[in-house]
Amino acid sequence: MLFKEVWPVSVDLLLRSIKKAVMLINDMDVNRFPLLLSRILQKLHLKEERTFSEEEEEKLQTAFGFSSNDLDLVLETLEFILQQAAYHTAKPAVLGEQLKQLEMNDDKVEKIVEAWTNGARNLVQKLKERTVHPNQLEEVKWRLNLQMAQASQSKVKRPNALFQLSVRDDSSGKKENIRLEFTHEELYEFYNQLETIQKQLDSLS
Amino acid sequence: MSIVQVKGGGGGAVGLERTSFVGARVPPEIRAMIKPLSKLDKTAFKKILKVIASEIQGIEQSFQDLQPLLGGALTEDVLATVYCGLDDLVRRALKLPSSSLKKENFLQDLQDLQIPEGFHEDLVAMVVGPKRPLIDSHLEDRRPRLPSLENLSWRADVAISTGVLNRVLVRGVTMEMTLSDGSIKDFEMTVSKFQELRFHVASVLSEMEKLEKHSILKIKD
Repeated sequence: MLFKEVWPVSVDLLLRSIKKAVMLINDMDVNRFPLLLSRILQKLHLKEERTFSEEEEEKLQTAFGFSSNDLDLVLETLEFILQQAAYHTAKPAVLGEQLKQLEMNDDKVEKIVEAWTNGARNLVQKLKERTVHPNQLEEVKWRLNLQMAQASQSKVKRPNALFQLSVRDDSSGKKENIRLEFTHEELYEFYNQLETIQKQLDSLS
Repeated sequence: MSIVQVKGGGGGAVGLERTSFVGARVPPEIRAMIKPLSKLDKTAFKKILKVIASEIQGIEQSFQDLQPLLGGALTEDVLATVYCGLDDLVRRALKLPSSSLKKENFLQDLQDLQIPEGFHEDLVAMVVGPKRPLIDSHLEDRRPRLPSLENLSWRADVAISTGVLNRVLVRGVTMEMTLSDGSIKDFEMTVSKFQELRFHVASVLSEMEKLEKHSILKIKD
């Protein structure tokens, strides 16, 4: 069953929470439901961001007639349902079945399955890109120079290449520019190493 | 800019349109050294030249290496003048690529500067001799530059599963670069970003090769 996966809470408590959330969901105005779902799906892959701002949450409380706690429960449960669907890359039909088993009303089930069908591919793609290593290579820039002279040597004519690798730290958002210089030999050596890596990647596909 | 030099006497070649390797005007350091140099004995000269050669190749020398030479006519002042003049002369000669400064021209210039004939051999050995490539390579190494890539450690792997996604199956490349300034940079990249990097490196290499074949590099000066 989809929702009985390992979770740091007792299963019993989890099921009771879900049951309560389902009851609240069943009472919701179905017209505003899709917008809610699409926002949740949009933000699901982001680690730190809130799905709704405090202001928006207050508006939602009024719109659906929920207390602050009830709204939190509903949002968390919907997020949890979609997270699990993403984790297992669940088929929409299977998701629908599971939701019906939780005694969710058909109209709500239909909306959730629809939102999932539309948003699943995008979300799974974003989740695939999420990495554990914070530093990501974002951009490669380069410049080819011909050194003409230096203080101790005139008439040099020495080609050299400057590379700038922009690496972003995912967790802090900071960007670092790694600047390297290569002579022809040094660049050729680097190129050979990259070729070796490519061969490895080819064998992994 | 070229200067017509008319050589007098001494059966030398008439050097038209060629500037001495020291430049259009004889630098003051060299000019000041000529007189004391003529009075210098050969062993002292050889020793001073050896110290200069070591300094240029990055081996630090101290005054103690030259101190034993002092005595009699060779005072500290005279030693300083000769050392500075010779150092300047040698550096100017080494500044020109060996293809530019031909041995005959170098000798002619030394003669014009009134460097004693007995010293020519040692100077020529340094500037066009077998040790010259070593000196050149050292001068090249000491040029100002951005850090080079000293070592590249890398890993290609497939992410099977993560906390948020059971089946990921995405390939990635992780790199750890050790630079010549001692810093260590580690980062990851997607396969497509890796291909981009590989493409850029290949492009630059091909541009470099084109550049090296270009006629501007073939001009002999």
